[in-house]
Amino acid sequence: MNKENILEVKDLRVNIHMMEGELTAVRGVNFEIKKGETLGLVGESGCGKSLTCKAILAINDKKCEASGSIKFNSDESGEVEILDLDPKGDAIRNIRGKQISMIFQEPMVAFSPMYTIGNQINECTRLHITKDKKKSKEISMSVMKKVGIANVEKRYNQYPHEFSGGMLQRALIAMALVCNPKMLIADEPTTALDVTIQAQILELMKSLQKDFNTAILFITHDLGVVAKMCDRVAVMYLGKIVESADTETIYANPLHPYTKGLIGSVHKIGGSRDERLFSIEGTVPLAMNLPIRCGFYDRCTVAIDGLCNKAEPELVEIEPGHKIACFACDHEKCKAECERARKEIAEREKRERRKVEIEAQEAAMAPKKKKLFGRRA
Amino acid sequence: MDTNVNVAENMNSKKPKSTFFEVLKDFFGKDLVRYIIRRVLMFIPTIFLVSILVFFVIQLPPGDYVSAHISALASEGEILTEDEAEAMRAEYGLDKPVIVQYGMWIRDIIWTPTDSQYYRIHHSHHNWKYSFAFGKNVWDVVEERLGITILVTSIIMIFQYAVSIPIAIYSSTHQYSVGDYVFSVIGFLGTAIPNFILAIVLMYLSYKWTGKANVGLFSQDMMVNGIHWYNFGEFLKRLIIPIIVIGTSGTCGIIRSIRAQMLDEIGRQYTLTARAKGVKERKIVMKYCFRAAINPTVSGLGGILSSLFSGSTVTALVLNMQIQGPQLLQALLTQDMYLAGAIVMIQATLVVVGILLSDIALAFLDPRIRYSGGSR
Repeated sequence: MNKENILEVKDLRVNIHMMEGELTAVRGVNFEIKKGETLGLVGESGCGKSLTCKAILAINDKKCEASGSIKFNSDESGEVEILDLDPKGDAIRNIRGKQISMIFQEPMVAFSPMYTIGNQINECTRLHITKDKKKSKEISMSVMKKVGIANVEKRYNQYPHEFSGGMLQRALIAMALVCNPKMLIADEPTTALDVTIQAQILELMKSLQKDFNTAILFITHDLGVVAKMCDRVAVMYLGKIVESADTETIYANPLHPYTKGLIGSVHKIGGSRDERLFSIEGTVPLAMNLPIRCGFYDRCTVAIDGLCNKAEPELVEIEPGHKIACFACDHEKCKAECERARKEIAEREKRERRKVEIEAQEAAMAPKKKKLFGRRA
Repeated sequence: MDTNVNVAENMNSKKPKSTFFEVLKDFFGKDLVRYIIRRVLMFIPTIFLVSILVFFVIQLPPGDYVSAHISALASEGEILTEDEAEAMRAEYGLDKPVIVQYGMWIRDIIWTPTDSQYYRIHHSHHNWKYSFAFGKNVWDVVEERLGITILVTSIIMIFQYAVSIPIAIYSSTHQYSVGDYVFSVIGFLGTAIPNFILAIVLMYLSYKWTGKANVGLFSQDMMVNGIHWYNFGEFLKRLIIPIIVIGTSGTCGIIRSIRAQMLDEIGRQYTLTARAKGVKERKIVMKYCFRAAINPTVSGLGGILSSLFSGSTVTALVLNMQIQGPQLLQALLTQDMYLAGAIVMIQATLVVVGILLSDIALAFLDPRIRYSGGSR
């Protein structure tokens, strides 16, 4: 593992056991985050962003099963493979909240209504920093002040229902930062807030990041927020990363048709009022029993028949730091990927033809059996 | 920065001593205290309404108290003259309007003065009138079983909670496990089997195993000498069957309610937040899930209390338990309205007190309930 990286995710898969069958919500995600860097994870609802970051903390639901590798570069215990840890054990609890913490989407429901804000922030301090009551309260209060909560003495003893949404998000950030974590996962932290509060919260996160040198995994579907916050961006679609690059590169030179669509569907000030917003047609398919093909094929405008619907593109690095998974890209490295895929398709079809032939032969040879109940396998 | 410095100073400097009045004002300014006072004040009109209802019940049978009394005396061979009857009516205020009669009835229950005729005869300040069925004054009949009824009911209630809460927590944290199913089946059986059948079966079993029929709450010895420490163990032994029979009928409901509520809470966002903070799983369950999940159960305490009062009657008859249920039944069968009214009144008051207590407990549990509004 690279010393510069704080987190390396390799081939992460998350399966959800459902009544209808296995749903693969995250299908082999690779990314790494350097110390102090902000990585934006962008994608539409249901593409597996949240599951990915819950897998990093191993707080996924019982029904979800994560496989692959998530390596965390911990200061205390060196390199840790998170997926190997017992999700209820002490080792992972020492990472949660202390070294990696998380800010949730909806601050209004992220706090328990039964306890004061101070109690809930202080719980984190007392778990990870000091058992001393007075000291931990002082630390918690100072962090609350730092995130811009005024009148902390009063606020400390108030309940979540006495806070506004923006204040709750600040409190949530305070709770996430109280132990100076090395890494912060922000799961759409501003989605539930109005625009002015959103800007304040983002500024706050940026300045705190500078103070603590925290790496941030920033999950959002808001490209404006990404441009403001992130150093690098990874675009996720149907449980896979389809393009990742520096923020500037993504905006200046988006290559994947999905990324192009995403950027195209952001409205711009100055455009005519009658101008229709660009939208990507269709919806994300359900990630259950997916055929082997590009997940974006049905919605893609530049899809190549016979290639995109028969093979799935791998992520290729076309320039240093710029990776893309698309057959329809003009870059030479993508062309090479196309060749590889074509060969694979040809081989697979050959195999399948032979299999069919063999089956037909066997069927002709085998003595006919009486059917008892309906079909027989 | 300036404000920060001020805040820090405030934190360090100790609060100046406040006057008694200020402390008092502070105390009553608290949401919790105000809530409790409000709830206690609401207790009074509730009891008032209950008493009107009971008074109405008492007035239901044809004829008035005096005519009933006269016929009761007549059966004992004592004939009252018309004048004596009129004098009696006047003394009981039966010639006055209904509202005045109600007022007098309430007044007599709360405090009968020492110089009244009732006090001279019965030496009691609480005049609940006369029970014709028992041939005694109502309060004497009620008093006999009131203490034991409250004792038995509270023991059964404690049993219900003590059994169902741990099971509910286990079932919800181990959803769809073998234990969960086993407890569910047992709970459903407890609810589905009629109490009296369970009572008879248990009585039979206890007779078979111990050779004694532990029927009734008291042994011969206790009837004579009363309950003391030396025979308290025996008393508890006799309580086992009633507790199992009456207790299991409500346990399933409590288990299902807490289990469902717990499952709801376990899926909540704040449970996830707590987990992401690194809180121990056990603490998450107890601190975040359980405290929120217990809420509907605590608020249902009054209902459980009243169902215990009324639901235990049949069991009490089968097991020959000396509690109020059978007494009430007998009073109703013999149209002994003063006794029935007194029992209903007392039980209703107890239930209202139970509801009051559960509401106060709820306010301690859930800050949103005691929250009376105010600035953000």
